Amino acid sequence: MQRPDDLNGSQWQAVCQQDTHLLITAGPGTGKTHTLTRRIAHLIPSLKPNEKILAITFTNKAARQMLDRLTALGVRQSQVFVGTFHAFCLKLLRDHFEHTALPKDFKVALPEDITGFDKATLERISRMKSQLAVSSDDDYKAYQRYLRQNSWIDFDDILREALLLLEDENIAGQLRGQYRYIFVDEYQDSNIVQNSLLKILAREGVLLTAIGDANQSIYGFRGSRVELFRRFEEDFAPAQTLTLQENYRSMANLLSASSQVITKNTKAGIHIELIARMHGEGKLIIHQAATDRAEADYVAHQIEKLIGGLDMNTSRRAVRSLGDIVILYRLNAQRHVMGQALEHLGIPYQVSQKVKREEVYSDEDALGQNEEVLEHNVEKVSLMSLHAAKGLEFPVVFIIGCENNLLPLDLIGMKGDPQEERRLFYVGMTRAKEHLYLTHAKRRQLFGQTLIQEPSLYMADIAEELKAYEASRRHIPKADPDALQMKLF
Amino acid sequence: MKFIADLHIHSKYSRATAKNLDIENLYLWAQYKGIHVVGTGDFVHPKWFKELEEKLEPAESGLFKLKDKFAKPIDAQIPKSCRGQVRFLLTVEISNIYKRHDKVRKVHNLIFSPSLKAAQKIQTKLGAIGNISSDGRPILGLDSYDLLAITLEADPKNLFVPAHIWTPWFSALGSMGGFDSMEDAFGDLTKHIFAVETGLSSDPPMNWRLKQLDDFILISNSDAHSPAKLGREANIFDTQFTYDGIYKALADKNDKGLVSTLEFFPEEGKYHYDGHRSCQVRWHPKETIKHKGICSACGKPVTVGVMARVETLADRAEGSKSKRWRPYQNIVALPSLIAEAKDMGTASNAVQTAYMNILSKLGDEFYILLDCPLNDIKEAAGDVLAEGINRMRQGKVEIAAGYDGEFGTIKIFESGEREHIEKQLALF
Repeated sequence: MQRPDDLNGSQWQAVCQQDTHLLITAGPGTGKTHTLTRRIAHLIPSLKPNEKILAITFTNKAARQMLDRLTALGVRQSQVFVGTFHAFCLKLLRDHFEHTALPKDFKVALPEDITGFDKATLERISRMKSQLAVSSDDDYKAYQRYLRQNSWIDFDDILREALLLLEDENIAGQLRGQYRYIFVDEYQDSNIVQNSLLKILAREGVLLTAIGDANQSIYGFRGSRVELFRRFEEDFAPAQTLTLQENYRSMANLLSASSQVITKNTKAGIHIELIARMHGEGKLIIHQAATDRAEADYVAHQIEKLIGGLDMNTSRRAVRSLGDIVILYRLNAQRHVMGQALEHLGIPYQVSQKVKREEVYSDEDALGQNEEVLEHNVEKVSLMSLHAAKGLEFPVVFIIGCENNLLPLDLIGMKGDPQEERRLFYVGMTRAKEHLYLTHAKRRQLFGQTLIQEPSLYMADIAEELKAYEASRRHIPKADPDALQMKLF
Repeated sequence: MKFIADLHIHSKYSRATAKNLDIENLYLWAQYKGIHVVGTGDFVHPKWFKELEEKLEPAESGLFKLKDKFAKPIDAQIPKSCRGQVRFLLTVEISNIYKRHDKVRKVHNLIFSPSLKAAQKIQTKLGAIGNISSDGRPILGLDSYDLLAITLEADPKNLFVPAHIWTPWFSALGSMGGFDSMEDAFGDLTKHIFAVETGLSSDPPMNWRLKQLDDFILISNSDAHSPAKLGREANIFDTQFTYDGIYKALADKNDKGLVSTLEFFPEEGKYHYDGHRSCQVRWHPKETIKHKGICSACGKPVTVGVMARVETLADRAEGSKSKRWRPYQNIVALPSLIAEAKDMGTASNAVQTAYMNILSKLGDEFYILLDCPLNDIKEAAGDVLAEGINRMRQGKVEIAAGYDGEFGTIKIFESGEREHIEKQLALF
């Protein structure tokens, strides 16, 4: 078969490979979803009647998007199950209810349903569960009793109960007969329970395709284990690995900058040399502001300029629309000041919540997706945490608060894993197609304290010739001369 | 009834507007200027809307008046010669910034509403979509088409008017952020648009050159950002003094309720010619073509003004008229005429004092500009001003055209001419 025009050599190889398990390492902007959906569509004709493809996504939103793309490629809904690990496992629990120890009328407990346990305890229990490391911890026992009393199952237990269910070899065998191919997206963010599930399902002729990028693993605090990515060939032998290197998103200079940042990660696992396919000139601008407020003003005024001015006095060539622009930050606490600055200039913006556990872990019929359906398509500037930016791309990206206690996070009892923090910054940088602004403030108000800030060491890892420094230019809106003219009256 | 209406203005809640742009000053300045129906502007802004609710009361159907207790203290300031009835009509301008066919579009649109209830519906709807509290002319990432749909859904009697349709950056047909046709911008809903605003940089004959504008009636408003700028352009109606009267004059193709418009000299507008303000490059469109659109100073494309844009889209020769054409009169604001007569700056105290003086002697500004016998003006304000107004009425003014956001500059008298006029007339 000949390679179609919309797939490059490695993508085509990834689409066609059929012999063994497959790990596709796909750097940012290398056409991951495109390749994945094309591979699924390619394998559909080899299914026997009653066989299906199981495609696991990281969020429900990603599942909906993948299903849309598959439908466009002619794949029928009956030929695939697309959903998160949790959606799939919940379906298993419902389908094979009589083989579980769950109460008949079990319901999924949402985080807000749970009362009487503090956040730290719940996080500790969740971490234990996601690592299959459950002890005889008293809190754990009390919590499980509490769930049982309410006929609840929490997100972590959806996976654990499914794993228990699959210990029944009959059921496991039945599923293997049903799902000939399994796909897992964002494999770098899977945890041990998910890995164990896959080990049971991807056997006896069932082929697993995992795709992801170890450099973009950013959910360690939820129990994701990036080393599973590196261990794929051991876990699923025999396996082949392929790498997608050609980046179709970022201008070459931006790509060089992000590579310089990520290669400094000593445990960088599988290192991918990305090849830029966008050859225009991108802009990487560093801005130092006196305070967080000044930083926010700078960003807001830059946006005003980028969209060509908001009124006659500031109009310039309009190059961007509101939806082209995202502002990323490490902590939600940074959002407020930024939002105020945008509001002051009347720039419409929307805050995307970080990927909630509900979004990652829910299934649609269980939780009733009340997704807001906007009647009209409204564009706004996006504000979101770096975590929430995963998988997205924007022509213009601002990363605010590029400072040494925010990136990497090391602040008032919050300390991120340095390797993962760098990956997070890398994820942020690689969202940008054409313009990347890295801003930092010398003084910052956070959690009621005034902090004296140093620039993030990550910025120092970028070669000087790739960076342009832009000084603070106080933007003074030109007053309407008429406003003064008749001041007498 | 014959009346003058200015239906596009802003309040103090819009960006870059005068702090005194409140209802009282609109009431005051409408009388100085001789305007009978003035837009409220900014009705979507929650604080302004509240102020409107508090200070206005229904008068003739769909029109509102300032409550007596607010009007009384101001009436005392107004020369008897200028006192007149002022009515408000609910209006707002929305800045739509959005992407269509991969191009960024920035289009300003006006909405007129017949009632507070209809206005509130729009406010609620837009409030749910975006931020309406930061700017009286809110910026929404909403397609103009969708805004038109929302307007019509809120009340079928709402009027939707694309604003200053030729402005390069912010309009339906503008060279930088607009479309090539109203149909492109508004699709199947175009038929619900009855009027378009010509803006300061274009006059009716320029608009008559486009067949695609034949079905629209052309209106003109000041887009004032300060009270003194009210009535820079305006509309003269002769119809029922109600919202419905105005609605019918715009919507009904056979209605003759809109009599004529009062226009800026288009050359005086900020975007008549092409060029770069920062490079001080001001080009007639022919000059722009010669330079292939590239600024000779900075090497970047120049801002293409209204004249060139009209030429690009025109499909009729100069001098043709559209089906719904109306007569028009070019005007120059009286303070500018006084400044010209005195050869002083418009903002100078002497000009301001003279302005108030003339108003109290003769009447409101539109009366002086349009109807007042020249002899009366001579008597009240001297020969040079009378001659200036005479030349304005005849269109005999010299203008260095505006470009890239810079207003054009008007010249009525040659140097030494003022003295000459005074001397010459002194002979009689």
